[in-house]
Amino acid sequence: MIIATFIAKNALRNKRRAALTILSVAVSCALLVTLLTLQREMTIPPESEAASLRVIARNKVSLAQPLPAKQLAVIDKIPGIVAVSPFSFFGGNFREETVTSFAQFAVDPARFQNIIVEGKIAEGSYDNFIKDRNSCLVGADTLKRYGLKVGDQMRFTGTFYPANLDLRIAAVYQGTVDDRNVFFHHKLLDELLGDPGTVGTWYLRVESADVANDVIARVNKAFENTSAEVRAETERAFQMSFMSMLGNVKVLIGSISTVVVFTLVLVTVSTMSMAIRERFRELAILKALGFRRRELFSFILAESFGLAALGAFVGIGGAWAFWTFLDLQTLTRGFLVYFEVTPRIMATGATVAALLGLFSAIAPSIAVARMSVVKGLKTLD
Amino acid sequence: MTVPNIVTIRDLTKTYQQGEINVTALNNISLDIEAGEYLTLMGPSGSGKSTLLHIIAGVDRPTSGECRVQGIDVTRLNESDLADWRNQNVGFVFQSFNLIPVLTAFENVELPLLLTRLSRKQRREQVNTALELVGLLDRRHHLPKQLSGGQEQRVAIARAIVTDPALIVADEPTGNLDSASTQEALGILQSLTRTAGKTVIMVTHDPKAAAFGSRSIHLEKGELVNE
Ligand SMILES: Nc1ncnc2c1ncn2[C@@H]1O[C@H](COP(=O)(O)OP(=O)(O)O)[C@@H](O)[C@H]1O
Ligand SMILES: [Mg+2]
Repeated sequence: MIIATFIAKNALRNKRRAALTILSVAVSCALLVTLLTLQREMTIPPESEAASLRVIARNKVSLAQPLPAKQLAVIDKIPGIVAVSPFSFFGGNFREETVTSFAQFAVDPARFQNIIVEGKIAEGSYDNFIKDRNSCLVGADTLKRYGLKVGDQMRFTGTFYPANLDLRIAAVYQGTVDDRNVFFHHKLLDELLGDPGTVGTWYLRVESADVANDVIARVNKAFENTSAEVRAETERAFQMSFMSMLGNVKVLIGSISTVVVFTLVLVTVSTMSMAIRERFRELAILKALGFRRRELFSFILAESFGLAALGAFVGIGGAWAFWTFLDLQTLTRGFLVYFEVTPRIMATGATVAALLGLFSAIAPSIAVARMSVVKGLKTLD
Repeated sequence: MTVPNIVTIRDLTKTYQQGEINVTALNNISLDIEAGEYLTLMGPSGSGKSTLLHIIAGVDRPTSGECRVQGIDVTRLNESDLADWRNQNVGFVFQSFNLIPVLTAFENVELPLLLTRLSRKQRREQVNTALELVGLLDRRHHLPKQLSGGQEQRVAIARAIVTDPALIVADEPTGNLDSASTQEALGILQSLTRTAGKTVIMVTHDPKAAAFGSRSIHLEKGELVNE
């Protein structure tokens, strides 16, 4: 037998309690990781100058309803607008992937150039993108992630539309708040769909932040009482709007998680104390046999740390797997595409679990240090 | 021929403070125990037998007086040194066996050896020797709950002798055993003193158990009573 065997046998002596402890650590770690991820997703993109100048107009009924392409002529005439482009979410799966790991949007390249002004062309040329209707503009992050280069083909299987894309990389951009997206010609999408004469949304840039609200009001007004009323809002408001429901949930989950983590600390601490108290006589025996305080400390610490680590592994790993393999796109009708459990967030969860393990070992360790062999033996003798 | 004393106790007193009252558990005790003795400690309940045994074994401290074991005053060792000292010099046998329930007989006996520098192989040999001596080598993979009370106590005796200590202390070791198991356990302790030169100090209520010893002393209200 080695010390580790002894510790493991002790930790698992009450299997149900060990399982419940691991499970409660796991659940709270999963909750914590989910909360942190949600928080992160809701705070990117951060406020940027360019974003405050951009407006998205979508169908008033719902995001899923398309808008008539002929609205473009009307929007073009509205004062205060610098540029406007169709902006349709394609939602395809790249190569053999079964989830949409980054978004593709159909745009009018020439018009779009005047909208994402903060994006810099890192490779290739924007002109080539404009010229080739089968080409695309790719974010630097996606390029790097898949080891792609200009001239490569990108194949997407449509999940939202009954169409597939086969795009040649014409240019690479970077410097926007989200350098993951792929943009391609709306004309190509129209062609693939048999010219339905619709777009997903309109994407526009206004002259200055001062006129943004006026422009929004004008756009909304322009299509009032038509068969396709629109709802225009700033890019940021738009991003928030489909999460506005989640906004309340965020607060809710935030408070629940805090309570759960706090409760978990209490539960784990008391579980550990109970596990040790039950074994008080045995620990007294170990002391009599010559085990010193520091050895008993390390037993207790290893046990609580081990249980917490196992819980963290299950919980954080489970949350990661859940959010990575869940088809969020389908679930949220294509608009919540990302829910990335980052290594940093997982590390945060693991740290919390480690502290939990440490924390719950304190009280039992103090009790064991104070315990005299004679008193410990008397608990039964 | 003079046999060296293994235990020398002088003016040992232990009092407990209970609120306003002082309870005297041991009152000015002096006692010599020779190496190789099988000493039985008798006396009514509450007379201080366990207290005396605990002080000799280095798990309790007296209020005053000295207790030398093999020349070392154990009352003056610090916690950590005392723990090492116990590991190397004292074997414990308790009334309620006190085996670790999640460990097999073999692992229970091996426990004190985990604190030594012995290799795994050396440990195994020593554990097997100890289990052989108590006649339980064939039960080494059994858990305590799979053993009878008598067998559990023999495993405990094996655990007490596995580090080859000079002194074995036993507090009413037969209190929970039937008469056959009692005979067996006492026989083993006796043979340890006779063939292995160990010193055994045993607290007991039972005059028949005391008969196995080489000498018997009586405590009453914390004082030694001469017969
Ligand atoms: N922790 C304690 N606090 C107060 N009194 C104690 C304590 N431990 C033992 N005593 C008292 O000391 C005396 C001797 O106890 P003990 O050595 O256990 O007796 P025995 O083993 O002979 O039955 C008893 O009167 C007992 O009540
Ligand atoms: Mg007693």
